[in-house]
Amino acid sequence: MSHELHPLVKLLLDGELRLSDLPPELKPEGERALRLLESIDHAPVALSPALDQRVMMAVRARATSRWRWLVQPRELRIHVRPWTLVPALAAAAALVFVVLRPAAPSTESVATVAAPESVTVRLVLHAPGAERVAVAGSFNQWNAAATPLLRSGTTEVWTATLTLPVGQHQYAFVVDGIRWMPDPSAPGVDDGFGRRNSVLAL
Amino acid sequence: MKITAIGVTLVLAAGGLAAQQDVRARLEGRVPAEVSAAVVAAATQAGAQGLPVDPLVQKALEGAAKGVPAERVIAAVQELAARLATAAGALHDGGVATPSSMAIEAGAFALTAGMSPQQVRDLAAVSVPPYDPATSLRVAGTLAAIGVPGKQVVDVVSTTIQAGLSQAEVAALPGSIQTRMARGATPAQAAAGQTRATATRPAPAGPPTERPVRPADRPARRP
Repeated sequence: MSHELHPLVKLLLDGELRLSDLPPELKPEGERALRLLESIDHAPVALSPALDQRVMMAVRARATSRWRWLVQPRELRIHVRPWTLVPALAAAAALVFVVLRPAAPSTESVATVAAPESVTVRLVLHAPGAERVAVAGSFNQWNAAATPLLRSGTTEVWTATLTLPVGQHQYAFVVDGIRWMPDPSAPGVDDGFGRRNSVLAL
Repeated sequence: MKITAIGVTLVLAAGGLAAQQDVRARLEGRVPAEVSAAVVAAATQAGAQGLPVDPLVQKALEGAAKGVPAERVIAAVQELAARLATAAGALHDGGVATPSSMAIEAGAFALTAGMSPQQVRDLAAVSVPPYDPATSLRVAGTLAAIGVPGKQVVDVVSTTIQAGLSQAEVAALPGSIQTRMARGATPAQAAAGQTRATATRPAPAGPPTERPVRPADRPARRP
């Protein structure tokens, strides 16, 4: 159902090779892949001429900020003497009490807190004949219905764009709600159930 | 003193109870009752050992979503708990006195991908600040998952760190090696080429200022 592209064809799609650079036996596959890509990315993207300038201003501001040390990750080591734990445990007990206490009903909406560090990724699956495709993984509690992929026009290519926290994520595609399959373009590991999960390390 | 001990016991018990309730709530309606009970037990034990609990819950949810029989899900959760403990031990042996949850999870991931506990330990030992052991192990697991042999994974990550390259460059290793593979190299050849290229590269002038020390020369970080 899915088709793994040859690595050289992937380089062609990335613009690192030209069609004429491919060996003759890969040219038909390269042409097919280019046609497929054309059918997906037909809308041109127009970037503002001021974009470069804005990006560089933001980068320079970040590089020269005197408060940068506040947001840089550092290892923090804490040495604790047992007797000093008593006040901390008392505070923890108070916290446990507050947390376990039933919350008062509220009509206020819940604020959405953005993850401190996250990365946007695009997942793509070539799945001929599929009626629906979703992705389930450690980022959505392995819920096979939570993150559907969208079909690109009338093609057999399904895509999803996700913003995920930095870290390591495992996932698999779910085709037509029943068939689990790893992402053919990502590294995979044993899932402990005799199948493979794909891996995203962000 | 007795009152303090009782207070401590009560607080710890309350914390453990809250954690158990959280695990149970996350599994409710998603997994069979016997799986839920086994995961709560495994999570309680893991929490007491300072291991992360979330991966165990995730593994149970994954198994249930994939329609795996209950006994197999329980076995997978218990295997994962053991792997987390092994990763935590390897990190500790590598000089990370109190490894973070992310580092332990990354270590377990590297083990799942085929690295040995000794290799996890070696990578922990070389990942001295400003390098994060979690990043090194996550990269190592990814490299192992794409087929790079464990010894070469350790070589390429260690060489990158010891050359003083940035953590972002450590994180970019899988991409660099996959690019070499796309040009026809095997995973082992790609990793060896990357190691050679890094070793012969001139040291960067800027940060990180604290140069990493080879594991053999470095005193243990345990308090």
